[in-house]
Amino acid sequence: MSAAADGAPTLRVAGLRHRFGERPAVDGVEFAVAGGEIVGLVGRNGAGKTTTMRAVMGILQPQEGEITWRGHAVGFADRLRFGYMPEERGLYPQMKVLPQLVYFARLCGLDRTTAERNAGELLGRLDLAARAQDQAIALSHGNQQRVQLAVAMVHDPDLFVLDEPFAGLDPSVVDDLSKILRAEADRGRAILFSSHQLDLVERLCDRTVVLEHGRVLAAGTLDELRARLPRRLRVKVDAPPGWERGLAGVHAEDDDGDGVLLDLDAGADAQDVLAAARAAGPVEQFGYERGHLVDVYRELVRR
Amino acid sequence: MSGAPTVWLVARREIEERLRSRTIRIMTALSAVLVVAVIVVPSIVHTPAKPTPVGLVGASTQTLAPALQRAASAAGVKLRLVDVSSAAAARADVRAKTLDVALVVGGDRATAQVRQDLDSTLRAVLQAVVSEAHLRSALATSGLSPSAVGRALTPTPLAVVALNPAPPDQTAHSLAAVIAGLLLYMSIAMYGNAVAQGVAQEKTSRTAEVLLAIVRPSRLLAGKVLGIGLVGFVQIGVTVGAGLVANALVQRAEIPSTAWVLLPMVLLWFLLGFALYAFACAAAGALVARQEEIGFVTMPILMILVISFLLMYVAIATPSASWLTVVSFVPPMAPVLMPVRIALVHVPIWQVALSAALTLAAGMLVAASAARIYSFALVRGGARLSWGEALRLSRS
Repeated sequence: MSAAADGAPTLRVAGLRHRFGERPAVDGVEFAVAGGEIVGLVGRNGAGKTTTMRAVMGILQPQEGEITWRGHAVGFADRLRFGYMPEERGLYPQMKVLPQLVYFARLCGLDRTTAERNAGELLGRLDLAARAQDQAIALSHGNQQRVQLAVAMVHDPDLFVLDEPFAGLDPSVVDDLSKILRAEADRGRAILFSSHQLDLVERLCDRTVVLEHGRVLAAGTLDELRARLPRRLRVKVDAPPGWERGLAGVHAEDDDGDGVLLDLDAGADAQDVLAAARAAGPVEQFGYERGHLVDVYRELVRR
Repeated sequence: MSGAPTVWLVARREIEERLRSRTIRIMTALSAVLVVAVIVVPSIVHTPAKPTPVGLVGASTQTLAPALQRAASAAGVKLRLVDVSSAAAARADVRAKTLDVALVVGGDRATAQVRQDLDSTLRAVLQAVVSEAHLRSALATSGLSPSAVGRALTPTPLAVVALNPAPPDQTAHSLAAVIAGLLLYMSIAMYGNAVAQGVAQEKTSRTAEVLLAIVRPSRLLAGKVLGIGLVGFVQIGVTVGAGLVANALVQRAEIPSTAWVLLPMVLLWFLLGFALYAFACAAAGALVARQEEIGFVTMPILMILVISFLLMYVAIATPSASWLTVVSFVPPMAPVLMPVRIALVHVPIWQVALSAALTLAAGMLVAASAARIYSFALVRGGARLSWGEALRLSRS
């Protein structure tokens, strides 16, 4: 991540603050999304994800904060190069799919020929070619979602802002859409998306921003976030439970039947744990547990 | 993207969406048929009376022809005088119904042969002419000079002075006023409502969310009003055009003189009225949380239109009342009541121009505050806003 205002296709959000009445929706949110990168915005309902995205898209005028693209404050012309998928879907129910895509593309400034070509190609990529002349309302939920993504993509934007793009979709559709987003990132596009599905974010995102009560709790790559977790051991010993009690700096978290999970404080030594385990009985399994985003999230929110 | 193409893109989508609706095509056909019927039907019903064929038998009778025509036209009776050589031929013609009357005047006798009886007016006409001819010849026989006879027989003109004259027939004007008022009331309400529906649909389907990221609210609003307004303009234009063509084809009708002025006026006042009401309706549509709430928010606006329409009936009863003159200048009522006044009485052109200018100015004021309400309310979540809240919040 370069920090300079150098004209690189980077979205920067800094010091974003907005309150609805007395309630702060975002309270100093700060992050960046660079071209070629997929950034996931996670957090519970009301954490500030949607407010942040609406501010980026200019639908909400934030009371404080700075949003820049390529180093300058985001203006109207910039947004024509952004692709937006709002949290609640917005299609014209009675309008046919292809004309709908062409319409949105043209509003973003494309001429008719390019708009029609892009829309046609995109429908092919999204497996919707057969539904081009159907009304949006006649499509299934999953297909409407694809069309909504197509609306966000039809003008070949430089930045994607996708609010819960995968909500309520079956796994095969999620996989299809994930592949498309990855391909767009590989073409140098910047992608910001929000989701509740942490496993999906873990799989798809290069970096994750965790929001809570309108603030950024943590941000970084999965490895950077994992570093925030205590070291966790999984140990399976053929011995009665409780053998680990008395070890300094070691906390038993859970026993899922496949061994006990032990969190180690900074000063604790794993070799001491191994010695204690062997003293208790034959050790069947011993190793570091690889943390998932969901663990990081739980850990962060618990504090 | 620059303003004009965006506005036009939005407008064109609206037009395409409206043209898919069957209601609009049916409404267009119905209103055109109605206007044409109002122009054409009276001219069919009021066919002029046919002249009564009267046979004049023999040379002496035939000399009465000029006097007969004069007397007949004075009495409001139309005659077609036919010279017949013999009484027998005249009788045959009466029986064959080619003649209604066969008149034979000779010596001291005069006979009117008819099939059954003689219309009393026609009888009086014939009697007067025959008597005058008899008197003339009697006076001439008694030695008076022809000029003295002429003087003696010149009738003293009878001047008729009405102390309590009946009003001129207003039926045609009232009918024209009802049609103009109905057409304007219905089309402004219908297309104004279409604007409110369209805005509410974009808000409730969250399409507005996608749109406002890429289109400025003022352009989105302008495009929507322009598109729906154009569809309305074409509908009224078709109706007015059909009316003008019918008017040109029907030479003698009851409304024509009014129609040439009134029909174009309907088109003009549709544009002015639509512009005024459409922006207010757009703001109304942006207030709702659900599509079903549109009725609540548009009611205060459309109520003014309904009242204008109801006042039309009072206007027809008292077309020259001063209150009518006043309200025909009040912007929200002028689009219905000014054309109604034009249909009923002669309205000086400066009054029409002034009222149009006032309506246009009011439309621009409404558009400005409607655009403010529209752009902030369109992407605002939560419950329906009241007009009071909307006005207050849109200012802050």
